[in-house]
Amino acid sequence: MINFPMLERVFAVVGGIIVGGVAAHALRVDWKTPGLDNAIFKLMLALLALGGVIAMLAGLNVLGNFGKA
Amino acid sequence: MAVASLPHGAPDAHHGGVDQLYAETRELRLQGFLLFLVSDVVLFSSFIFAYLYMRSSGQGWPPPGIGRLDVAFAALNSVVLFGSGATMHYALENWKHGHFNRYALLMVATIILGAAFLGGQGYEYTNLIYNEHVTWAGSGVFGASFFTLTGMHGFHVFVGVWYLTILLLQSVQGIYTKDKYFGLTAGTLYWHFVDVIWVVLFSIFYLI
Repeated sequence: MINFPMLERVFAVVGGIIVGGVAAHALRVDWKTPGLDNAIFKLMLALLALGGVIAMLAGLNVLGNFGKA
Repeated sequence: MAVASLPHGAPDAHHGGVDQLYAETRELRLQGFLLFLVSDVVLFSSFIFAYLYMRSSGQGWPPPGIGRLDVAFAALNSVVLFGSGATMHYALENWKHGHFNRYALLMVATIILGAAFLGGQGYEYTNLIYNEHVTWAGSGVFGASFFTLTGMHGFHVFVGVWYLTILLLQSVQGIYTKDKYFGLTAGTLYWHFVDVIWVVLFSIFYLI
């Protein structure tokens, strides 16, 4: 019997690590790129990396852990 | 306006004139697009603060009789959307470096991931409405604010999926070049904006 909630959590954690890592890497590469659009991109990438970390923590049950309602 | 007023086949249309005009007006168009995004931020912010105010005024959250939202599924769906932000970023980078095939592949991946997020949201809505009996009009402030905000965001994702599809088709037709690709920059900004709004919505509805 497949435990779907557990699978969802595993994929959320793995995906969060990948997305957060990729966004952080892109931010590091683009850090010195000048221009208004690139400044916005850097802000967006930082928030995207944060989103990846948040999703990972939610998958790990660290965030959003309310217990049984 | 100046670009639109240039007649087709004008003597300088295929030489320096259009390129120069493009370079001169690029910052203006960028600022105009950013103003559009700022107006969208104001729209979302007003709904988000209204939701937070009503939530803090109530007795417990979610209200009695309404179960917790499915955090695990929402986290997975969020990763799908955030992943599309990463693929979109690298699609633009590949376009800048002239790697068209990789650009097209990443654009298609972005579109598929965006559509997958919408599918996930549809699944979640179906589950909430038919299994949990949470509705927009019948579940008080919680249902109204949840469906309004996530629905508004979902509509933005839906528009974004079409927007990116049109951008991909335009780039296949050769409308954008290695030096003139403001449309793709605007599309990337829009898609990142949609991602970032979801970081906030995911946090306030599912995590706090």
